[in-house]
Amino acid sequence: MSMFDTQGQAISQSGRKPNTLRKLKRLNTALTHQEPDRVPVSDFFWGSFTKRWQQELNLPPDANPYYHYDLDWIVTVPNMDPWIRPFVTLKETAEKVVVKTGFGAIMHKHFEFPMPEMRDWETDSLEKLERAKFDDPTDRRRFTTGGDNQIAGVGDGFHRNTPPWIETVRSLHPDFPVYGSIIEVSECLTRLIGQQNAMLWMGEEPERMGAVINRIGEFYFQMARAEMEAGKGLLDGFVIWGDVAYKKCTFMSPKYWREYFKPWVAKITELAHANGLPVIYHGCGNVKAIFQDYIDMKVDAYNPLEAKAGMDVIELRQQYGQGIGFCGNSNIQVWETGDREAIRREVLRKLNAAKGGGYIFQSDHSVSSAVSGRTYDYILKLVREYGEYPIRLGDFDERL
Amino acid sequence: MQDLKLLHEAILSGDAITAKAVTEKALAEKADPLKLVREYMMPAMSEVGRRFECNEYFVPELLLAARAMKTALELIRPLLIASGAKPTARVALGTVKGDLHDIGKNLVAAMLEGGGYEVIDLGVNVTPEQFVAAVKEKGANIVAMSALLTTTMPAMKTTMDALQQAGIRQQVKVLVGGAPITQKYADEIGADGFSESAAGAVAAAKKAVGA
Repeated sequence: MSMFDTQGQAISQSGRKPNTLRKLKRLNTALTHQEPDRVPVSDFFWGSFTKRWQQELNLPPDANPYYHYDLDWIVTVPNMDPWIRPFVTLKETAEKVVVKTGFGAIMHKHFEFPMPEMRDWETDSLEKLERAKFDDPTDRRRFTTGGDNQIAGVGDGFHRNTPPWIETVRSLHPDFPVYGSIIEVSECLTRLIGQQNAMLWMGEEPERMGAVINRIGEFYFQMARAEMEAGKGLLDGFVIWGDVAYKKCTFMSPKYWREYFKPWVAKITELAHANGLPVIYHGCGNVKAIFQDYIDMKVDAYNPLEAKAGMDVIELRQQYGQGIGFCGNSNIQVWETGDREAIRREVLRKLNAAKGGGYIFQSDHSVSSAVSGRTYDYILKLVREYGEYPIRLGDFDERL
Repeated sequence: MQDLKLLHEAILSGDAITAKAVTEKALAEKADPLKLVREYMMPAMSEVGRRFECNEYFVPELLLAARAMKTALELIRPLLIASGAKPTARVALGTVKGDLHDIGKNLVAAMLEGGGYEVIDLGVNVTPEQFVAAVKEKGANIVAMSALLTTTMPAMKTTMDALQQAGIRQQVKVLVGGAPITQKYADEIGADGFSESAAGAVAAAKKAVGA
């Protein structure tokens, strides 16, 4: 079980359910900074959370938070590996598996640990990176054929033979607004060469790395275009997965990010909009130094807005008004305490960001196994109770 | 005699080749290794840390500077050991059990080495027993732990308990850091120091050991 393995409960032949169309209207109304019927809500769930949630709430082993709570949107991931190929199993025991993936990364997945470890990479020099020839970004197999892929397959869980992306989209389409997604260059580099090499080579050879960033940017732009085409008529939006910041600030200077990384986010966003798809950008960490840039690029909503990195939706709303939508920011560390009073304060305070629309309620990254099932159940009840418009939060009302 | 400010500048600018060349020449000219470290290398890394804190330097610049410093230090270290010179303190550094992230830890290692500390890098997924062993067998007097996930943070407390049970808690200072870690959490578990960032780790270590 993992974060991206939700399959729809039925393949619809007859189009979407009225409830799904209501959810879509809710989501799009919020993203256009108008007030819908209630605040949209969803999240990204660790597989280990889902198991815990099933056990604690006495739910069957196939129960899924998206269906159980009728959440308002879901994201899907195609095969974004540069090389479309099965994992090569290097070692396998009852405790862990070591595979080489389509990014050429040697992944160590300990089954008891939430995250895998990337220890080595085939592409271990700048010269190799410059010479690397990837498979066709528009290869239809990425969207229409099942198989191994790193992002869906090696994360909080371990899965081989991920179902074809288009079948996942079709299966979810009747019941949810479905977003496609693409990684941007930063996420590719982390998997292709390792984050430390990426940073080191950016420092050492900024222009050579800039040329590589542009090549990879074009690669994923073409892949995004092909994905939108493959999902035509079935997608309701697009997520761009990025990772350019941490607790303190951006990994690289904002100047370097603006020169090499930003243009590709801008291009993909523009392309999505041309296809009628709103864009949610996912980028961890403290992005305050470049937040205005996302507004300038007309990204529709920013996710996840990590509270532990100092991001706060109320402050952001006060600073930027309705310039951009927000998706996330409810502090998972508060959720993990199980302290109902603290959780109530946290949830209600963050719902202030929903005034005037422009907010999707989610955690500030993903729902970990340290959150109890009952806590999540409580949180959803709070959001549904207090998320009806007009928003009235009593003692937790804040002026924006 | 060459101008040793070149060593300072090489580290500051992340030029490992020049740092090595200048150090080799300086040692050939019988420069005092400890003076090289204290008057040129440590101040260079201190300035790197300051620029990093001020967002003038970012992770690429810090990694390059650390590599330049490490390159020079590799030439000097055998001479320091032979002379009996001691590091400011010996730090057992690792990402805690169940956590496999390492870039933050690696940045901390770089800054601590640049600050005159000897770093025993235990890697990732470090068990409490491994931290205890580093103290008992390698003489670490600081234990520095990193965690990136809220679900792995509790391993910091488990490690502190292991140090206590091994009877060595009082002989070490414990520092903690990582994305979900706060001063409040550090205080709750009884850590001796906390740093928000890699650059701040040196100050935290200095304060903890009273250097």
